[in-house]
Amino acid sequence: MAKTFHLDIISTDRIFYEGECEHLVITAIDGLLGILPGHEALVTALPPGELKYMVNGRWRYAAISEGFIQVMPEFAVILADSCELPEEIDIKRAEEARQRAEEKLRQKQSIVEYYHTQAALNRAMNRLKISKKHFE
Amino acid sequence: MANIREIRERIASIKQILKITNAMYLMASSKLKKARKSLESTEPYFHKLQSTIESVLEHTPHTRQLYFDRRSDIPEEKRKKGYIVITADKGLCGSYNHNVLKYTEQEIAKVADPDNCRLFVIGQVGRMYFQNRKNSRKVSVDSEFLYTTQNPTLYRAREIAELLLEKFEKRELDEVYLIYTDMINSNQFEPKTVQLLPFSRRHWGIAPDGTLKKLPKASFLPSPEEVMSYLIPQYAKGIIYGAMVEAFCCEQQSRMTAMDAASTSAKDMIHDLSLMYNRARQAAITQEITEVCGGAQAQD
Repeated sequence: MAKTFHLDIISTDRIFYEGECEHLVITAIDGLLGILPGHEALVTALPPGELKYMVNGRWRYAAISEGFIQVMPEFAVILADSCELPEEIDIKRAEEARQRAEEKLRQKQSIVEYYHTQAALNRAMNRLKISKKHFE
Repeated sequence: MANIREIRERIASIKQILKITNAMYLMASSKLKKARKSLESTEPYFHKLQSTIESVLEHTPHTRQLYFDRRSDIPEEKRKKGYIVITADKGLCGSYNHNVLKYTEQEIAKVADPDNCRLFVIGQVGRMYFQNRKNSRKVSVDSEFLYTTQNPTLYRAREIAELLLEKFEKRELDEVYLIYTDMINSNQFEPKTVQLLPFSRRHWGIAPDGTLKKLPKASFLPSPEEVMSYLIPQYAKGIIYGAMVEAFCCEQQSRMTAMDAASTSAKDMIHDLSLMYNRARQAAITQEITEVCGGAQAQD
């Protein structure tokens, strides 16, 4: 039995995962970050991206949008706006969101609006990317 | 003895109102079910968010971060305070709106100069109340701050948080508070204030005996300032969303209770009035019979 640490993944609408985990890989601001049991105390922000964690020797994947992670030697907590399994992603909705965002980016917008649409586009692209990766 | 026709009209009008209150009761109870569900599913996030931020701050080295800046160079009477107040969109929900508004009045009364006070009201009732207030202590209500309390979404919370953070950054506001109704249990609500900005860490990181806890500092990637500038908006958004969900749930609950009470008292009134109606009718019949008998006897 491999060494494990406690992992909580909580999104605004549910508790996504709560339990032991052997290995966690997150997408941080400047790249991928692997976390094993006994990791030093760490706090970092999570942009929309992919998340994978190993339970009983098998990788599990999830799409995550905006959040942050607190890592302690014995446990880790991820708090995110939304967190979904690849099979839960609604491709059609994400595709529509992407098109809507791209359409909006072509218009002249204020800086704030521009950031909003870009963030929306990022979220949609992330969902599409992850669902594509696991189903094609 | 009241007029029979008057009583009959009164009964008919009460029956009409009973229909309305009953329909509103049913609507509120179905909305409540939905609101309860969303409250239950966000609650773990809400609590975890607070406890995680607390423990993160305990491990945070001292930072010169914008959101922590208490601006202590500004004297108390010159500080610009912003209040986000969550009320309902409609009335007819018992004392729910009244309690929040009264509480907000008390909070505003504490501020030395009402000119430094700005209100950001979510919900129609509250906005109307503060805009039309004929009071010497007039506070400005942000008229472009138009958000509904119905079915709170994360998106709306994000917009509100961004707006307030921006005002704080531009020094248009020095302190930001959030006033909402907290659900103690399903029959007990209480208005509550939470300080959003500046982010205070006075109560945190201090052990029960009053000394500063010596905890190992966590490492921050890429840097504490960067992580904090990302984390605080996230926290503000989470808190606002949680408060909106909770307030909406309270609103539905108190509307349901109020409408249930109204339906019950309408039924009581109908009962009393129909008793009166029957008595009056009986009296009229008796009187008529007496008159007929009297007439017949007089003819003999």
